[in-house]
Amino acid sequence: MRDVVVVGGSIAALTAVEMLRVEDFAGRITVLSAEDVPPYTRVPLSKGVLAGTESIDDIVLAPLAAEVDLQLNTPATALDIDTRVVHTPAGPVPYDGLVIATGGRARRLGRPDQDERVLRSHTDGARLRDEVTAASSVLVVGGGFLGMEIASTARKLGKEVTVVDLAPPLSRLLGTVVGGHVRDVATEAGVRIVVTDGGVRLLGAPTPTGVELVDGSRMEADLVVSAIGDVPNVEWLAGSGVQLRGGIVVDRHCRVAPNVVACGDVTVVATGDGELTRSPHWTNAVDQARAAVHALLHGDEAAPYRPSEYCWTEQFGLDVKMVGAPDPQGEPVVLDGALAAGSALLAWPDATAPRTVVALNHHTPPAKLKRLLRAPAMAAQR
Amino acid sequence: MKIAADRARCEGHGVCADIAPEVYDLDDDAVVVPRFEVVPPELERKAEAGARVCPVAALRVTT
Repeated sequence: MRDVVVVGGSIAALTAVEMLRVEDFAGRITVLSAEDVPPYTRVPLSKGVLAGTESIDDIVLAPLAAEVDLQLNTPATALDIDTRVVHTPAGPVPYDGLVIATGGRARRLGRPDQDERVLRSHTDGARLRDEVTAASSVLVVGGGFLGMEIASTARKLGKEVTVVDLAPPLSRLLGTVVGGHVRDVATEAGVRIVVTDGGVRLLGAPTPTGVELVDGSRMEADLVVSAIGDVPNVEWLAGSGVQLRGGIVVDRHCRVAPNVVACGDVTVVATGDGELTRSPHWTNAVDQARAAVHALLHGDEAAPYRPSEYCWTEQFGLDVKMVGAPDPQGEPVVLDGALAAGSALLAWPDATAPRTVVALNHHTPPAKLKRLLRAPAMAAQR
Repeated sequence: MKIAADRARCEGHGVCADIAPEVYDLDDDAVVVPRFEVVPPELERKAEAGARVCPVAALRVTT
């Protein structure tokens, strides 16, 4: 294998590049990024960047090694697996090995004539930062990690903040207990949370001015931000033969086709029961990129993808770190501290074989959280 | 090669130590502690990979 092409410009793509180098891959590495700036981390976009305390310079990742050919403004437009060519507006790029890491983009709910505000790229971040500064009220549509982080930052800036969602914010991610606690803290901080039974319609064009609920009532704000998840960037693969089912379907080695692997937000992985799930989180992108490169270079010999199942959020002065299955059900076992006291280490469904562990404002390092989750399972295998 | 670790930026996610445990250690609060003042040549690529995956861009390697 002499030429590896990596399509994408965010953390999955970059991790793939670094893993190729760690594996002493001696061939040429080309990175095709659709973005107009060098790779950066999206994590601070809803926090420091939105608050105006961090600029794009602060969130740019360390430059790639000089021998890596990074081509910005170069989106992949088509893939030909038979001839091993990625097509771009600048011309065809041949490969021996291909890493697909085209990520996702913000999901939208508005009409084409509505200039919907979302937060996914640095451009989105810079624009929202300016607009939130000028606004006195902010309406966030969607109460996932991103939506609630935006609400937290906006509230800290003194804005009047409302979050609207179909379900109680965060419960599907953090479960009802921790989700409820975070909502309580958010409410105490002055955020208004509206749970609506039925979808919302985005009002105003081109600039959104509010939403209409199914009962016809309306909510308006100076700034309306949609944070309703993301969709994988797979359109360029139409007709390529790559299996697409809500993302690129990858096997347990992150393989897609001969000499083609995929990693990060663009993928879906089959779980035990045959269902396909996406895990659009930072650590999953890193885990998958590592497995994908190993599979590309070593085939079946490579260690399969083993998700670390770790994600986190920071909002309203709470630092929440979670390992294991999302949406833990029922009451947790308290391993340390107490939720009511503001610092707790919690496990579900029990302490001996937890499937989910959450640290809330609790100084248990993530590595130890992962060990708490894995140690019983490993002991059981012995 | 040297590592510049911004311990104030570090949030303790530990992804660097996952990727390159030979180069990055974590203290009791999970804040990153590089194992070397000067990275040995055979670990330079590992050091770069570990710095790359930091979600808060708290690590830089310089040559």
